[in-house]
Amino acid sequence: MNPARGQPSPTGILSSGMAGGRVRIEAIAKVFTGIGGHVPAIQSVSLAVEPGEFLAIVGPSGCGKSTLLQIIAGLVQPTDGRVYLGEQDVTGQPAHMVYLFQQYSKSLLPWMNVADNVMFAFRHRVSLSRSAARDRCREYLAMVGLSDFADHYPWQLSGGMQQRVTIARALAAEPKVLLMDEPFSSVDALTRIDLQSLILDLWNERRFTAVLVTHDVDEAVFLADRVAVLSRRPAVLSEVIETGLPRPRRTIETRESPAFLSLRHRLLQHLLARPEESHAVSRGAHC
Amino acid sequence: MRYPVGRTAKFLLGLAFPALLLAAWELASRNGGVNPVFVPPPSAIAVTVANLVVTGRIIGPLLHTVSLLAAGYTIGCTVAIATGVLMGSSRRVFNLLEPLTELLRPIPKVTLLPVLALFLGLGSALEVTLIALSSFFPVLINTVQGVRGVDPTIINVARTFGHSPRAIWWRIMFPAAAPFILAGMRISLGIALVVVVLSEMLSGTGGLGDMVLRAQRSFVAKESYAWVVILAILGLCLTALFSWTERHLAFWSAPQTK
Repeated sequence: MNPARGQPSPTGILSSGMAGGRVRIEAIAKVFTGIGGHVPAIQSVSLAVEPGEFLAIVGPSGCGKSTLLQIIAGLVQPTDGRVYLGEQDVTGQPAHMVYLFQQYSKSLLPWMNVADNVMFAFRHRVSLSRSAARDRCREYLAMVGLSDFADHYPWQLSGGMQQRVTIARALAAEPKVLLMDEPFSSVDALTRIDLQSLILDLWNERRFTAVLVTHDVDEAVFLADRVAVLSRRPAVLSEVIETGLPRPRRTIETRESPAFLSLRHRLLQHLLARPEESHAVSRGAHC
Repeated sequence: MRYPVGRTAKFLLGLAFPALLLAAWELASRNGGVNPVFVPPPSAIAVTVANLVVTGRIIGPLLHTVSLLAAGYTIGCTVAIATGVLMGSSRRVFNLLEPLTELLRPIPKVTLLPVLALFLGLGSALEVTLIALSSFFPVLINTVQGVRGVDPTIINVARTFGHSPRAIWWRIMFPAAAPFILAGMRISLGIALVVVVLSEMLSGTGGLGDMVLRAQRSFVAKESYAWVVILAILGLCLTALFSWTERHLAFWSAPQTK
C-alpha cells in the first residue's frame, strides 16, 4: 500500500537541514475584531514542541486551532504572546517552517506541472543547477510515490495524489518544522489512512518536528506523541495527553490496541462533553 | 453509438449553408432578382478582392488600420491592466476609482469622437485615443476581478515558502489573473475593431473603414463590399491569433473549471 520510499538523499543536501526544530509558544492570545465587535478566539495558550516530536492539536470545531497554527507560521499576527523557533523570536515567515494546507487543490499552482510545483518550494532559496533541482524534485516525488507524474498538471491528478504532491513539496523545502492544518480531512477515508501512514514514514525518516491540527481524534492518537486538547472558544489549553503508543505504529493493529482505544475514548469524552454554563454564552458568538 | 460523425463531415455541413446562401445571391444578382449595381454577385466581389490584393492597393489601408489598432489596443490594455492591478490589490485605490469608472464605463466611447476631435483634430491621434478608450474598460473590470479572485490559500502557500511579495506578484497573482485579463482583452478586441472602422469612416484619413465609405461614395459598390470582405478576414485572423494566445497562456484554466 505504501509507495516506495527513497533511500537517504543521494545528493547529500538533506542530511544538513532536516533535524527537527524546537517550537515554543508563549501566552498566545488572539482577538478578532469585526463588525460584531471583538471576538476572543484564543485566550492564552502556551506550549512547547520538542525537536523531532509529533504533536497533535485537537479541539471542537471553531475553537481557533487553525488560527493557532497560522500564528505559529507567521501568517496571522497574535494579539498577544510570542512564538519561538529554536531560540529565535519568530516574526513574519520563518525559514525552515512549512505549512501544509487543508485545501490541497487550492494550494497547488494549476499553471505549473507537478515538478515545477515541487521546485516552487526551494528554488528561490537554494541556488541549485537546473539538473540538481530536478534531482531533488525527483527524489521527493519518489518518496510520495509519484515519480511518474512529474510532468502532469495538478488538475490531472486525483485528490489523494494532489495532496501527495503538496506533501512532497513541503518536504522538498526540507523544513525543521512541518505544520499541518487538517491535511487529510478532504480526502476519502481509505486515502486518509494511506496518507497518514505516509506522513508517519516520512517523519520517521526525516525527524522534522510535526504539529498537526485536526478534529479527527483517531488521527491525532494514531500519529502523535502528545495530543494537546483545546477548549471551546475562546481557546485555552485544557489538557495535554501523552499517547505513549509504541512506534512504529501499524496501520491496522495500532488502531485496534487497547491503549489506542482507551486514549480515543478519553479524548472523545473530553471533546464531546457538554459545554458548561459559562461557555454557553460564548458559543453564540462562534462562527 | 452515433459517435463517429467525422470532423470533416461536421465542417462540410457547416459550410453547406453559407455556400447555399452565396449561390442564391449569385443567381439573384445575375438574373436581375436584385440590382447588381447595389448588390453585385459574390463572384464579382471576389475578383475585386483579388485585384486589390494583386495590385497592392490593399497594403496602405490595411497597414493603416492594423497599426492604429495595435497602438490603441496596446495602450488601452496596458493602462487598464496597470490600473486594474492597483484597484484589485488596494482597497483604498479601489474605493477612490470605482465610482468614477462606473460613471464613465457606460458612455459609448464613439460618442466622444466629436468632442475629442476639437482638440485632437481628425486623424490618427483621435483614432488611437478612441480605440484605447474603448478597449480600456472591459480589460480594467476583468483585471480587478481576476486579481481580487486569487485564492488567499495560494498566496499563503507562497508566503510560507518564503517568496517575496514581488515574486508573489509575478509568479502567483499575474498567472492566476491571466485568464480573466485575457477574457477582458478578447471583449476589447472585438470592440476595438468596430471602433477603428468607425473612427476611420468619420475622420476620413485612410484605412479600411475609410475605403469602404469612399468606394460607396463613388458608387463602386463591389469595391465597398470587397473592403468589407477584407475587414471580415482581418477580424477572423485577429480572433484566431487571440484564441491561440489564450490557449497557450491560460491552458490550465479551462480544464480546471470542468
